[in-house]
Amino acid sequence: MELPVQQFRTKAEQDLLDLYERSADALPGSAAIAALRQSAIRTYAGLGLPHRRVEAWKYTDLRGRIDEIPPLLAEADVQVGESELEAALGKAVLTLPAYRIVLAAGEFRGDLSDVGALRDEGVELGSLAQMLEQPPAWLTASLESGAARDDNVVIALNSALMTGGVGVRLPEGLTLQKPIHLIHLDAPGRPGSIYTRNVLVAEEGASATLFESFGTLGGQGIQRNAVTTVSLGAKSAVHHIKLQREAVETIHLNVWAADVGAEARYNGFQVSMGAALARNEVHVRFDGAGGATDISGATLARGSQHCDTTLVVEHNVPACESRELFKLVLNEEARGVFQGKIVVAKDAQKTDGKQMSQALLLSERAEFDSKPELEIYADDVVCGHGATSGQIDEELLFYLRARGLPEAEARALLIQAFVGEVFEALDDESIGDALAAVSAEWLGTPMEQAGP
Amino acid sequence: MLEIKNLHATVDGREILKGLDLTVPAGEVHAIMGPNGSGKSTLSYVLAGKEDYEVTDGTITWKGENLLDMDPEERAAAGVFLAFQYPMEIPGVATMTFLRSAVNAVRKARGQEEFSTPDFLRIVKEKAKLLKIDMAMLRRPLNVGFSGGEKKRNEILQMSLLEPDLCILDETDSGLDIDALRIVSEGVNALRSPERSMLVITHYQRLLNYIVPDRVHVLSKGRVARSGGPELALELEKSGYADYGQDEASAA
Repeated sequence: MELPVQQFRTKAEQDLLDLYERSADALPGSAAIAALRQSAIRTYAGLGLPHRRVEAWKYTDLRGRIDEIPPLLAEADVQVGESELEAALGKAVLTLPAYRIVLAAGEFRGDLSDVGALRDEGVELGSLAQMLEQPPAWLTASLESGAARDDNVVIALNSALMTGGVGVRLPEGLTLQKPIHLIHLDAPGRPGSIYTRNVLVAEEGASATLFESFGTLGGQGIQRNAVTTVSLGAKSAVHHIKLQREAVETIHLNVWAADVGAEARYNGFQVSMGAALARNEVHVRFDGAGGATDISGATLARGSQHCDTTLVVEHNVPACESRELFKLVLNEEARGVFQGKIVVAKDAQKTDGKQMSQALLLSERAEFDSKPELEIYADDVVCGHGATSGQIDEELLFYLRARGLPEAEARALLIQAFVGEVFEALDDESIGDALAAVSAEWLGTPMEQAGP
Repeated sequence: MLEIKNLHATVDGREILKGLDLTVPAGEVHAIMGPNGSGKSTLSYVLAGKEDYEVTDGTITWKGENLLDMDPEERAAAGVFLAFQYPMEIPGVATMTFLRSAVNAVRKARGQEEFSTPDFLRIVKEKAKLLKIDMAMLRRPLNVGFSGGEKKRNEILQMSLLEPDLCILDETDSGLDIDALRIVSEGVNALRSPERSMLVITHYQRLLNYIVPDRVHVLSKGRVARSGGPELALELEKSGYADYGQDEASAA
């Protein structure tokens, strides 16, 4: 295969090309899919792994961070039962009422998934690996639309190496009453790479919640690349929620790419707690007037964790609204990154875009980097951004201690209060409560269960 | 019994309390009056254990123990309660959650059992009713969007729930209209008991019509300048603080 010339490749960069060469024949998919993979790996070969001189990766030096590329884990024979699922995600999250779909080391596990129940509701779905052999038109369209953002290294590598995932299509007008809970697991023991691709298509007027959780079965040296594309037809609504509790050594690369139709709503919500390095990208593109999006979430990081949240919202059409609110709690030497880009095209008048990121630094060695980027080519728009970072308010701390709360407990309560705002805003209360409980656990105090 | 001897305290390197002596026996209500800048609020913060208030000399003994050795939460457990002049707003913490955390923390520190949820709710309802506090208010974030009166009533609710035996009320009357003042005073009076000492800090005599003190002390320039019975407050109402001067800093 002829590859574009890159002047210098690190070992890891070369290893990725070799991994593709070694695996290509065994990767699932039709001839058309194989061609898409080829094109994607060429894109990657031209770009290499991103580093600090690439503006979109200014604070996250992926090239400097990755030395080795472990083999694909597609064939790992992972033992999963209820007890493993509970250990990976916690009971509160696992017992949420939902249709469950399990991906173990990227492999679609029909035996652990509520496939029948979803099909009974009229949902079209299946293992991505199987669907790639004879992809239906909606799947191909969505894969190509995702691949079309072709300067994106994470998506390019994913398209080249995807081994599995799930494809879901909600037919016109269908409203799913329960969320779809897509569970991503790693595999215990040996290092491995996991490339999963998920596709969600919501036809006109359809609505559903997709909750993706990432848990660990004791993975060591896992490199995860997960991409989900969401295509929203006119007047459809998708709530997309994520909980990331990967193993502490894991490198977690995740992209969500949503194309939002006229008067459709796409809401994203992400809680990041695990992984050594996490890069969460959310790309929202408005394709029809009157669309809306709200992307919010919380990052909880400690030790030497690095968590990067990068949002890109493209207002290509008039009268769309975007809201972004992220809260970060950073302890010890943790580093949090927030990049929010809002692009308003020339014709996208009456755009309303707002963005806010707030970090609470619990240690003097923690670091928060925030970079808003507003590119506005229209003249009748309302766009705003803000970022704050600070420490725990000593006055509030004294008030709580004067009421008898021990210092550690008072601090935990104030941290919880700081992040609580984002959970309260979540439409789905049961998921919001479960995620708040998981984050409270991270903060080291039990959540107050009872209310009046 | 609270015993303060020769108390000197500084804030940001500036000496505010300059040799204050005060004794409050169990069961008595003492009013602390004085002009702005005389050290009234400083005294309340020093008693509650605020970190930026540095005690440079003197002693505070509470029930025979050295209060200055204790952290703020230990003081709360030992029965010291400060009703803040400006109660803090904490968005993201429901008032009820806060009340429950505080009560259980103090009970735990005192070796008492934590309340069960139904028991706690019953007790809060009872005490809130006395202060005309709506349960809906307790579901809101702590003090956020509360009126001045609601904040002060919330302080007294906390006081009644934590069952302290040294209640320090720092200008509880400030920002209250006459109806709120009456409700708050009734709440405080209901807590008067032979075991409980109170220190009522106020600039105005008005509050003392409702909460009648056993003793009145006038603070001036960081010391007790004069002590007397309730009639002293009435006298001050007439003559003002002119005889007691203003601290240089606040007079400026």
